[in-house]
Amino acid sequence: MLLASVEYACPGSVDEALSLLAANPNGRALAGGQTLVNVLKARIAAAELLVDLNGIPGFREIRETDGALELGPMVTYTQLARSEEVLRSRPILAEVAAQIADVQVRNRGTLGGNLCSSDPTNHLPPVLVAVGATMTIAGASGTRTVPAEEFFLGVYLTAVGPGELLTGISVPRRQAGDGFASVTIGADGTCIANAAASVNGGVRVALGCVSAKPVLLEVPSADEESVRSAVAGAQLDPPSDIHAPAAYRRQLAGVLAARALRQASGAA
Amino acid sequence: MSAPVAQKTISVEVNGTTYERDVEARRLLVHFLRDDLDLTGTHVGCDTGNCGACSVIVDGTLLKSCMMLAIQADGASIETVEGLGTDGELSSLQQAFSEHHALQCGYCTPGMLMSAKALLDENPEPTEGEIRRAIQGNICRCTGYVNIVEAISAAAEAST
Amino acid sequence: MTETAAPTSAIVVEEQETRPGFIGTNIPRKEDRRLVQGEGVFFDDVKRHGMGFVHFVRAPYAHAKIVSVDVSRALELKDVYGTLTGDEVAILTDPFFEMSVPPGSEIKDYALAVGKTRFVGEPVVAVVAATRELARDAAELVEVEYEPLEPLVDARAALEPEAPILHEDAGSNLVWEGVFDWGDWEGCVAEADRIVRIKELHFDRFSSTPLECSGCLVEFNRGTGQWTMYCNHQMPGIGAIWMAPALRVGTDKLRFVTQDIGGAFGNKICLHPYFVACCLLARKLNRPVQWTEWRTDQHTANAHGNERWFEDTEVAVKADGTLLGFKTSAIDDCGAFPRYEPLGCIIWAQVTPGCYRWQNIHVDFTQVATNKSPVSPNRGYSRMQHLWFTERVIDIVAHELGLDPVEVRKRNYVKEDEFPWTTPNGCIYDSGDYARCLDIALELIGYDGIEERREDAENRGKLLGVGIGSTLDSGTNNFGQSMLLNPDLQFSGNNEVATVKLDIFGEVVVTLGTVPQGQGHETTAAQVVADALGITPDEVTVRPGHDTYWNSHAGFSGTYASQFAVTGLGAVKGAVDQLAGEIRTIAAAVLGGVPEEAVVLEGGFAKLRANPEAAIPFMGIGAIVNANNAVLPEEVRDVTLNCRYVYVPPFEVPDTERKYGNLTLTYATQIHVCVLEVDPETGAYEIVDYAAVDDCGNRIHPQIVEGQVHGATAQALGAATHETFTYDEQGNLLTPNFYDYHVPHALDMPPIKTGYIESPSPFTSLGAKGMGEGGGAGIHAVCAALQDALRPVGNPIVHESCNPPHRVWELISNPEESRGRVAVESR
Repeated sequence: MLLASVEYACPGSVDEALSLLAANPNGRALAGGQTLVNVLKARIAAAELLVDLNGIPGFREIRETDGALELGPMVTYTQLARSEEVLRSRPILAEVAAQIADVQVRNRGTLGGNLCSSDPTNHLPPVLVAVGATMTIAGASGTRTVPAEEFFLGVYLTAVGPGELLTGISVPRRQAGDGFASVTIGADGTCIANAAASVNGGVRVALGCVSAKPVLLEVPSADEESVRSAVAGAQLDPPSDIHAPAAYRRQLAGVLAARALRQASGAA
Repeated sequence: MSAPVAQKTISVEVNGTTYERDVEARRLLVHFLRDDLDLTGTHVGCDTGNCGACSVIVDGTLLKSCMMLAIQADGASIETVEGLGTDGELSSLQQAFSEHHALQCGYCTPGMLMSAKALLDENPEPTEGEIRRAIQGNICRCTGYVNIVEAISAAAEAST
Repeated sequence: MTETAAPTSAIVVEEQETRPGFIGTNIPRKEDRRLVQGEGVFFDDVKRHGMGFVHFVRAPYAHAKIVSVDVSRALELKDVYGTLTGDEVAILTDPFFEMSVPPGSEIKDYALAVGKTRFVGEPVVAVVAATRELARDAAELVEVEYEPLEPLVDARAALEPEAPILHEDAGSNLVWEGVFDWGDWEGCVAEADRIVRIKELHFDRFSSTPLECSGCLVEFNRGTGQWTMYCNHQMPGIGAIWMAPALRVGTDKLRFVTQDIGGAFGNKICLHPYFVACCLLARKLNRPVQWTEWRTDQHTANAHGNERWFEDTEVAVKADGTLLGFKTSAIDDCGAFPRYEPLGCIIWAQVTPGCYRWQNIHVDFTQVATNKSPVSPNRGYSRMQHLWFTERVIDIVAHELGLDPVEVRKRNYVKEDEFPWTTPNGCIYDSGDYARCLDIALELIGYDGIEERREDAENRGKLLGVGIGSTLDSGTNNFGQSMLLNPDLQFSGNNEVATVKLDIFGEVVVTLGTVPQGQGHETTAAQVVADALGITPDEVTVRPGHDTYWNSHAGFSGTYASQFAVTGLGAVKGAVDQLAGEIRTIAAAVLGGVPEEAVVLEGGFAKLRANPEAAIPFMGIGAIVNANNAVLPEEVRDVTLNCRYVYVPPFEVPDTERKYGNLTLTYATQIHVCVLEVDPETGAYEIVDYAAVDDCGNRIHPQIVEGQVHGATAQALGAATHETFTYDEQGNLLTPNFYDYHVPHALDMPPIKTGYIESPSPFTSLGAKGMGEGGGAGIHAVCAALQDALRPVGNPIVHESCNPPHRVWELISNPEESRGRVAVESR
């Protein structure tokens, strides 16, 4: 409950944030804090400097362009769940964001924080992989864009390297349906397993909680048999923990993939 | 350039009163309220941000004060349970909690009241489902939530 | 009052309270006003000048030898006030007393680990510093060298020859063992048409996890050698019995003060090791010290409920479903130190046959120590485990014999006209109507239409199940049951105290010996006092909380074991009746020397019955006795208007040879029915309908009673669906916080339909029964409903008390595994 000593800075621009992070190799970007502050309370990870991103202009913006929905990294789950732009351009994001944790956490927790923490049980990583989002990462040497399926590298590990920041998320506007299904610990709790599906040009299904990062399956057609056999063919080796032995997660992966796809197809 | 600091004098308005205090960067908002300002109505029930006993409203946003640093609240306006009533009179929510026996030990109650207030401020006529969703982040080990849901519903009806 | 009546011979039935009064009505709770304003005072709200904050360095190993401890780096840190080590504790204190017989009694339990650690999270060193954060910083600088030893995690292996030994002083992991044999097991086997055998049933570890964790602020008075603990200990009488000898002082040196407590549920009974460490630090450092337990600490190292295995159960049944008897071997896991144990090895016997007329019962009971958190009483303590077992047995027997679980229950329930009912082990069930409670519960969930709903669910791809949990909430312990474990223990009976006084300005002030944690004692005590004095509850001040220096404190004072309505209010009733008598005495003298019977109390006045104009206000009586007593005639000058009453229930010492006797005074009933729907593809399930019917005799405050029913249900549903303290093979707790230990929130809880009947207890002054624990009815009902729902998919046997989705899926995907646990022999 009690943090170790730490320094704090609240920069007013991306450049300032980047230089603070560059100057402090043990610095950490502090987004909504709904994961990081807990990690610091447990003193599992140490940080010498917290770079608070709450003061950076534009980081909470949601914009629609012709083809995409542009989301700032500090957009909260509550914003996602309610934004007219999101509901219009990619409603699955709103639907899933509304299932995360609880009101207080949704008010404070952010899209960028959710993605950058890359916890395999998070809701949003498989969704962003399924919908084919791209992430913009800024660093000392400029910015680059990474597709979602290359963004997540492992447990708590993403393409955002030391001294870098996730500065934007771009999601194609929907043409057809998306779906999401999960089994959680209690109603709307942490995911034991989840799956997101999209039938926007090809059938993309992303499985969560069964590997260190979302598992993307390109399914030949949007029927249950195809998706079940794609899951079976993925040779999943999910982790076992108190909430689910590996065999159970493997079972759920198939069931949830089919359910997510059913929703995606139904909404198409 | 905002230089890193390990300590800072912050100014916070809580329930209409402005406080200035030195805080370490590591101090959680909940400990600032309880230990530095002596506003002990806001409680701590876990160490992982799950229980919601520490819920307060910061600049109009309901949040858990164990997952925010006090230093982040510099310049903010905060509402806590101590500010719910006026001149010793209970608010309609507080009154409804008592009438409907929505509290037993009373430990979760301050956080629960803040979540209920945030709900009714935004949605004066919530359904039962909306009430349950609104207090999902507040754990109560005594009541099974039955009477809490009833009390919030009654408070909503009373004020519409 | 009933204090002279022996329950078996002369049952004294108190004349019913005349209603209408405040008793039986839902007056606003007196506690609420401060609590809804954030003005309650919980232990962590108390501050003292110069206080230091305590942080415990805790064991990272479940089982390890402590090779060395070095606190020097911690002490070098600025504003660190001092430390306490196990070596110091071993010199300054004696081990806490143990209640068991050898070998369990040889266990040495201290405030800090001495020589060895025996569970992850066990306090090894305590550090005190100027701030909470700094104390933790300093604790990280303490260097402890450990030599890990093999941990013992599975209770079933504890007595194997190769099992690691936790307590070398005891030489065995056995804490207690004994055989309970009532009736004639062999005889009933001969009479039986069927013997149903159940290989193994397992009741999981969990606890009520009160939202406020434990803690204290301790001040030491050097001049008097007295410690004051502002704390949330829920049973100070027992706390002092543990602490005082360990600290080598008399119990009066220990003052426990509580005001508001954020839930306890039994989990705040075994705080003595922590409190002793804090007492030693307050004395050593000559400053107040404050300890706040965090959630992770509470989960890893404070109070778990008892985990229990039931092995090789045999049930003797007639073909028509008449239950003749059962035999089982229970293995109870009490964790690393017994503390309140081995009391759990007998507490279950309060409800030996459950709600049923079983006459022949044989239980081999063994309790062992393992490298896990110590246990502590936990709402439904020990009876819940046993009632889960009996309810599981009923449903398994019914299903295996093709009988209706409702009919089997009704056939075997103790009948309404059979009370008081004496169980095979001598407990006397006071009153009740179980079958009627069940009927009400079934009606609440619309049992008549259940087959249509089953079909409807099936059409949606779901499996619907319905299950019953029949429980007894036995209350007001006869502590003589401890002698059935250890005949040398000098505990028996029970007691509770209250004082009621009339002060100089006419204030009516009540102090309680109980330690409320949300049960509304201030309110219900005020109802009883108001009715007896003819005033309103608003005119009664009940001091919040508990203070052992109030002289309303006895050896068994506390709030535990579903007893306040009997012991606490029994004491209040006794005291206020005395005070009413004294007020009449003074009024009679002042109003012209009339007989006392001529005086009535009404509206804050003592009046002459025949002439209500002749009246004196309570204020006048208070003023005369307290400050103007020379005006009184000689013969009434001994009146103090400060009345203390000790309620002593009518118990006898049980027969230690036969393990026979009445173990509790009252038996409230809760009968629950659960309807749930299982998703067969995922094992996830949803409770779609739920009813709880309660019978606790006369209800003092129906709303509070119903609140307790709701709360007990929620805790049981949490335990049935998610809550387990699971350990890995190394003895690490895998559910140390509310992330992994999922307690129900508002979306998890189904709407609960409640019903009640009132079967007044003939043994209590108010006809009320203790209630609140609920016996875990929800756990039994969920297990039964799952068992019912899964019949179409291989008819697996639900053999665990906690069934999260993955366990349900395992039952579905491999029904043969659990089917193999059951066999039926026809005779």
